[in-house]
Amino acid sequence: MPIESQERDDVLLKRSAKGDEEAFTLLYRRHQAQIYRFALRMTGHAWAAEEIVQDVFMTLVREPRKFDPERGQLGAFLYGIARNRLMKHLERQPREFRLEVRNGEGEPKEFEIADERTPAHWAELRERRDRVRSAVLSLPPEFRETVVLCELEELSYEETARILECPVGTVRSRLHRGRALLLAKLEMLRESPKRANAAL
Amino acid sequence: MNCEEFANRGMELDSAAREHMRTCAACAALYESTERLREGLRELGMATVDATAPSRVEMRLRQEFRTRHTTVKTRGRVVVASWLLAAATIVLVAGSLFFWQQKRGANLAQVQPTAKRAVVQTAAAGPELGGTLIAENDGDEFALIPGAFPGLQDDTTVVRVQMQRGSLSALGLTVNEEQANDLVQVDLLLGADGQPQAYRLPQSNN
Repeated sequence: MPIESQERDDVLLKRSAKGDEEAFTLLYRRHQAQIYRFALRMTGHAWAAEEIVQDVFMTLVREPRKFDPERGQLGAFLYGIARNRLMKHLERQPREFRLEVRNGEGEPKEFEIADERTPAHWAELRERRDRVRSAVLSLPPEFRETVVLCELEELSYEETARILECPVGTVRSRLHRGRALLLAKLEMLRESPKRANAAL
Repeated sequence: MNCEEFANRGMELDSAAREHMRTCAACAALYESTERLREGLRELGMATVDATAPSRVEMRLRQEFRTRHTTVKTRGRVVVASWLLAAATIVLVAGSLFFWQQKRGANLAQVQPTAKRAVVQTAAAGPELGGTLIAENDGDEFALIPGAFPGLQDDTTVVRVQMQRGSLSALGLTVNEEQANDLVQVDLLLGADGQPQAYRLPQSNN
């Protein structure tokens, strides 16, 4: 039976659990990008994001019955798995990300911005973006995920609260605190980037 | 609005907050910094907004999906085949047992004395014996013919014959001479060799 592209996630997942590869592929294509972006923004590494996406969907292949549609959306469920994997990844490599300003060599392609502005302006923009990214990556995980979801993914407080399984008030306070930490780190980076690198 | 209230107001900038910013340089600077930060975060978000997992991830996952479900299907088939084999074995054993019991029952019936059954027999007991008769016998009323050696009862047959009373003397029995020409019915118990071993005179003759 052909699958409608608007078919609900739980229906697709049931079909996938019965061995329908098309249903699984549709589910994957529907959700992989947001999980990949979340993982990429949380880890700063394309390879780590790739690994996490693979782990998340592998869980869906192996244990599709773990998802209970009555408890929430599949997207939130996948975010939950991704968060668990991310925490394990961050525990394994707590100091893997560095705060040096990257010059773009060896950077993943996804970080490039197609820009028509002058090279000097582009370089400045890139440098600022790298500083912000480094500052985000240096945040403690609970603040980082809140900043990533609210500021980078531009999810609402309610959506973020569902994904993080915490009250909206907690999201607000973490975001507030995260911004304050980012400001402090960016100020520190602007004043003395080399010393900041050494500190981390 | 004081500085603490300004800091905790969220991102909304109402008239009270604007008024506070005009009078407090620190809060105004904080606001400017926060706005710059948000701008930087937006730029960072834009830099990765189109990021997607490489296609090799999808290929790996689909391969794993296929392998897993093929394995599950194969395992399912093996389980079904095992159950079918077990069921077939049970049916075979049960059938064999049933037929064996039936055969055993038939064998048991065969080893019962023939004298217990009704036998239709065409008698050809010599010129002195009559035609075809039916004999019924419970085996208890037969008298041994003098000189006959009683064999196993398994191979015996009972026949009812009609003969002249005088012919009974040929079997070694004492016969009344005056009634020697009368026809009488006699049940003979024949051995496996066809020789009479015992006789019985049915009640109708008396």
